Amino acid sequence: MKLLIVEDEQGLREAIQKYFTEEGNICEECSDLKIAIQKIDLYEYDCILLDIGLPDGEGFTILEYLKSIGRDECVLIISARNSLEDKLKGLNIGADDYITKPFHLSELKARLQAVFRRKAFGSTNTLIYKDIHIDLSGRSVSINNNEIIFTKKEYDMLLYFIANKGKVISKNAIAEHLWGDEIDMIDSFDFIYTHIKNLRKKLMEVTGTDFFSSIYGVGYKFI
Amino acid sequence: MKLASHYNRASIIISVSMLIISACIYYVIINHIARKELDDDLSEEVGEFISYVNNNHSLPVAQYDENQTSYIKTNLKSFNTRFYDAPYTNPNHTEIEPGRAVSGLIHFNGENYIFTIVESREETEYLIQIISLVTVILTAILLFVLVVTNMFVLNGLWRPFYNILGFLKSFNISDITIITTKNTKVDEFRDLNDAVSKMSARVTSDYQGLKTFTENASHEMMTPLSVITSKLDNLIQDERLDSDQLKEITDIYSASNKLARLNQSLLILVKIDNDLLQDNETLNLSAVILEKGQQFQEIIKNKKIILSIELDNMEITASKYLIDVMVNNLFSNAIRHNKANGEIKIGMCGRTLVFQNSSDQSELNSELIFNRFYKGKTSDGTGLGLAILKNICSHYCFELTYKYSNGLHIFEIDFN
Repeated sequence: MKLLIVEDEQGLREAIQKYFTEEGNICEECSDLKIAIQKIDLYEYDCILLDIGLPDGEGFTILEYLKSIGRDECVLIISARNSLEDKLKGLNIGADDYITKPFHLSELKARLQAVFRRKAFGSTNTLIYKDIHIDLSGRSVSINNNEIIFTKKEYDMLLYFIANKGKVISKNAIAEHLWGDEIDMIDSFDFIYTHIKNLRKKLMEVTGTDFFSSIYGVGYKFI
Repeated sequence: MKLASHYNRASIIISVSMLIISACIYYVIINHIARKELDDDLSEEVGEFISYVNNNHSLPVAQYDENQTSYIKTNLKSFNTRFYDAPYTNPNHTEIEPGRAVSGLIHFNGENYIFTIVESREETEYLIQIISLVTVILTAILLFVLVVTNMFVLNGLWRPFYNILGFLKSFNISDITIITTKNTKVDEFRDLNDAVSKMSARVTSDYQGLKTFTENASHEMMTPLSVITSKLDNLIQDERLDSDQLKEITDIYSASNKLARLNQSLLILVKIDNDLLQDNETLNLSAVILEKGQQFQEIIKNKKIILSIELDNMEITASKYLIDVMVNNLFSNAIRHNKANGEIKIGMCGRTLVFQNSSDQSELNSELIFNRFYKGKTSDGTGLGLAILKNICSHYCFELTYKYSNGLHIFEIDFN
């Protein structure tokens, strides 16, 4: 996947690039509108991560530009403003998703993959990871033609982990993904453990492999 | 009492007393003039009488020229002519009327007589009555006109004042609509109007400036926060980290998470204060509560809390976002400060919502708990949850109260 990161904060840009590059993706980055538009003119991208507040204008300009030249890259907006109007404006002029700062890189990656998949394969597509086949439109999971019933949370978690395969995901990131950032329960991560345990068990029963490894209380890794 | 009434009362008291005094003076003067006129008449009569006696050498008949004349023989050598009030018998009507008399001494045929001439006073009395009546009527009309003009003119004059007062009463610091200046001819009110407009504009702009600052500051903090979070997300990928280092990282995660929440809470407060959330819609509150209850279910189970919900159907018109935040904060508060194996009771009866929770803490100070950043020593929340709740309630004019009874902390919201 070829990715363009338009973000003026260097630290954040580097962090995103590092997290995404390791996958074998190609990541390009720039910090303002002018260079972003030059790059868009020169190359084609699969996805663009777009910050709204840029030094030389609002990121919406790029969305309008893409629309005007008839390009349909996936665009995911990164904004410091959690405002409904900005969100609606962005989505109306062609953005595919909107994520509010601060966010976890794992969340960003899961969202990016989801919009990319939707755009590239339409709604009828199957996600395959090792033996696991996931029918994204039917929300069903089968391993070696055996359908496994997951709860909604387990299913969400599975997709989340597959999107971030090989990465350590912190408990904070998992909690925020599953319960949203409205629910503020930093003191009790125990209930995440319950879900992971169930998911792990169900996958192990069919495949005999343990997909999860726990990383010293900080989080989990899906292999 | 209104200023106009005070003024009215004073002006009426003064006018009435002035009118009474002037009426008295008027009466006395008229009376005096009338009497003088009568006395002049009588003096003339006396002259005529004396010349009659001198010419005719006889006393005239008693009824003389409509005046009644009487004589009394006297031995007095001298008698001062005097004028005085006396009854007058009208010969046509044989009625006693008020009259004016003059008595004097006349020397006739070697004898002294005291003569008395009485003249009717009725016409003068009548004149005085007419004049008094006219005066009373004029006074009444004057008073009436005075009251009416005071009422209308004063009210008209004071209208700009009441406009300004009305503006001040409805003044909302977060409202950016500027006072509509109505032209008034009264200098004082124009000055007042100018002063109030300037003051409100300055206050509003200062307040807006402060709010914008808070909003910008909170937004600006989100970017560095996301740098911290994303750097941590990358850092934990390092396989060389040992458990102690990961433990430290977990703490940094928690701190940055808390900071982000704090920031979000401040932004919500700014949004409520600035009335930025106007996406009002009709919501079924019981549905919102049940949905949130579902979301919090695992956390509640995890703490082994018994949740009981008893809801009447109720609809409210408000921002979905704010109501979500409100219910969220009620739940978070009830769960966070609960004890293991505790209970949460949610009830809605009529238009009153009640959240009750058990806790290890005893009664809280209801004056302080809704203050920003007021929190218990053991609480690791932001200290803004209840402040936000309070702000949302006052934003929609819902009444939020805290009570403590039978070991339960009770938060009650009256939606009327």
